[in-house]
Amino acid sequence: MRYPVAVNETERAEAFYAHVAGGGKVEPDDWMPDDYRAAVLKFVEMHANSELMGVLPEREWILRAPTLRRKLALTSKVQDEVGHAQLLYRVAEDLGKSREQMLTDLLAGKTKFHNVFHYPTRSWADVGIIAWLVDAAAIVSQQALRDSSYAPYARTMKKICWEESVHIMHGRDVVLTMMNGTDAQRALVQDALDRWWGPLMQMHGPPTKPETDRDLIWKIKAKGNEQLRQEFLSIYVPRIRELGLVIPDPALAYDEAAGRWSYTEPDWDELRSVVTGHGPMSQERLEFRRTHRAQTQWVRDAIIGPVGAAA
Amino acid sequence: MTVQDAASQTALAELLLAMADDEFVLGFWDSEWTGIAPILEEDVAMSSVSQDEIGHAKALYELLASLSGEAADEIAFGRAPGAYRHAALMNHPRTDWAFSIARRYLYETADAVRLESLAGSSHEPLANLVRKMRREETYHLLHFDLWLRRLTEGGPESRDRLIGALRDLWTDAQAVFAPLDGEEALVAGGIMPDRLETLRRRWLDRVVPRFAELGLPPMPAAPAPAPDGRRSHGPDFEWLHGEFTMVAASEAGASW
Amino acid sequence: MGAKDKVWEVFRQEAEGDPMIHGGSVRAPDEELATHYAREFYGRRQESERLWIVPRDTIIELDDPDLLKPPFDRSFKRPGGFLIKHKLEAARIRAGATGAEPIEELGE
Repeated sequence: MRYPVAVNETERAEAFYAHVAGGGKVEPDDWMPDDYRAAVLKFVEMHANSELMGVLPEREWILRAPTLRRKLALTSKVQDEVGHAQLLYRVAEDLGKSREQMLTDLLAGKTKFHNVFHYPTRSWADVGIIAWLVDAAAIVSQQALRDSSYAPYARTMKKICWEESVHIMHGRDVVLTMMNGTDAQRALVQDALDRWWGPLMQMHGPPTKPETDRDLIWKIKAKGNEQLRQEFLSIYVPRIRELGLVIPDPALAYDEAAGRWSYTEPDWDELRSVVTGHGPMSQERLEFRRTHRAQTQWVRDAIIGPVGAAA
Repeated sequence: MTVQDAASQTALAELLLAMADDEFVLGFWDSEWTGIAPILEEDVAMSSVSQDEIGHAKALYELLASLSGEAADEIAFGRAPGAYRHAALMNHPRTDWAFSIARRYLYETADAVRLESLAGSSHEPLANLVRKMRREETYHLLHFDLWLRRLTEGGPESRDRLIGALRDLWTDAQAVFAPLDGEEALVAGGIMPDRLETLRRRWLDRVVPRFAELGLPPMPAAPAPAPDGRRSHGPDFEWLHGEFTMVAASEAGASW
Repeated sequence: MGAKDKVWEVFRQEAEGDPMIHGGSVRAPDEELATHYAREFYGRRQESERLWIVPRDTIIELDDPDLLKPPFDRSFKRPGGFLIKHKLEAARIRAGATGAEPIEELGE
């Protein structure tokens, strides 16, 4: 979008915000207020970081996949997550922050990644639950982002959503196979669900006020946190229960009168603590990435040349 | 031509197992790079190559399964470490990027020679499978020749690491052509159009000049592979075996 | 970004005969790696018939609305700019008095 030349910054910003609030789109080379640029960058950067860190919990199980087909599907899924990190870092980089700087900030604990990737995986059942339900919760968010005002992000989300739909099928298949298997396998799945339910309920974040949620006002995202959580519950609670699994929240119930799910309030303190690096696996995983990044620096120097900032 | 006699059948099974295990074990080691490769874009590329190998292993195990009656997953996951028949080249862990690239280059070029020959196998199912595999291998050969060049030309550190890795792997690389029980029967029946030692010489005639062309120092002499080149595996493979059998072993007979 | 690194835009063709559409971008130091990476990101699932890989710095962008969306009416340059439905109806009615069949249905 182009603006008439003779306007001052304030009017220009007002015109811009009216444009995005009205469903208008923004491309990388368009003029944008610093606030908007910073908000989009922060949002996309956290998303990219999450894909990159999200690789680690599942990666452990690539070597342990119990059949040839599962090995292929899991490797492919993790590969896709790396691919998503690339796509999202490219979007963020085109807003003015280099990939290298984003990795440095992530590994220094200055920027965040989503809560679910700070927890351990304990069994093959975790692999199924993550691929099914964590990816499902993510896709609920991601579908809502396909109409983001920041057009490169919206386009990337369409590609990501298409790719994620395969992961959910894989995850559901793993869970179903185990639920149709032995008592021990069913117990493993129930145990995994018991451990992952809390983080899943926290994943979309605490409800925010629409009037002060800038990401919502500027249409960087299309739906509020609570709306996303409700959508996730509406689709997936029946699908979880129909397998004979018990959701570990006795207060979880659909309130017909209110037209929404009621549930035990998620532990927002836990969420805050985890995303600021105090989750059970936060430091170990960041350290793992730091080590591998350092060990492979010589390759980047040889192939793409050294970068100005410290690696 | 179908496999006529028991000796050929056993020998063919040995060949298929050797090829499948090569792809399977290498695919496993390199799948470890998923998520931690040096460059994001390269991470995706390396993962594709590993998946191709597992896919080829799967197809080879399935071909073997059609001969032996066992299920492909049983063959892949159900043996003790000593019963695997991958070449010594695949006994090493992924180590570092130079090591992985060096191993990949050595294996892909050796496998290319093997597959070229087997594309003319008298055993139709094998010949057909090999022809399919060769099409996917096109990308592998391009990709790893590219990396061989890049590391050679990328400065003293990358060059030294690459040369060190090639030297460390050189003897074990010969084991891709290690003797197979029943080779005579396979050659006599045309199932293997060329002897293994012929293939090894053909491979050396390609890679040695390629190294010279790139200005890499010559490798040491290439001895004929030890007879146990596919039978002696060591602690790193035993660790890997423990990883890939862990879940399957946790609940015998269960479906996953 | 590394000293030798560049951004490459990737265009892909979904099915034979389709136009090339923009897929996304990759970072690579040269054409060869850019091609391999384009294949990975926009072709590894067998989803593309063809790819074009183009250095971003060779792309010329035009987005000036004075050139692309100037204010005067230009509807005479597009099929939708000609509204003939009522005139056609009138003409058919007049010609229908002689029993002639309509030659085409005008889809609206």
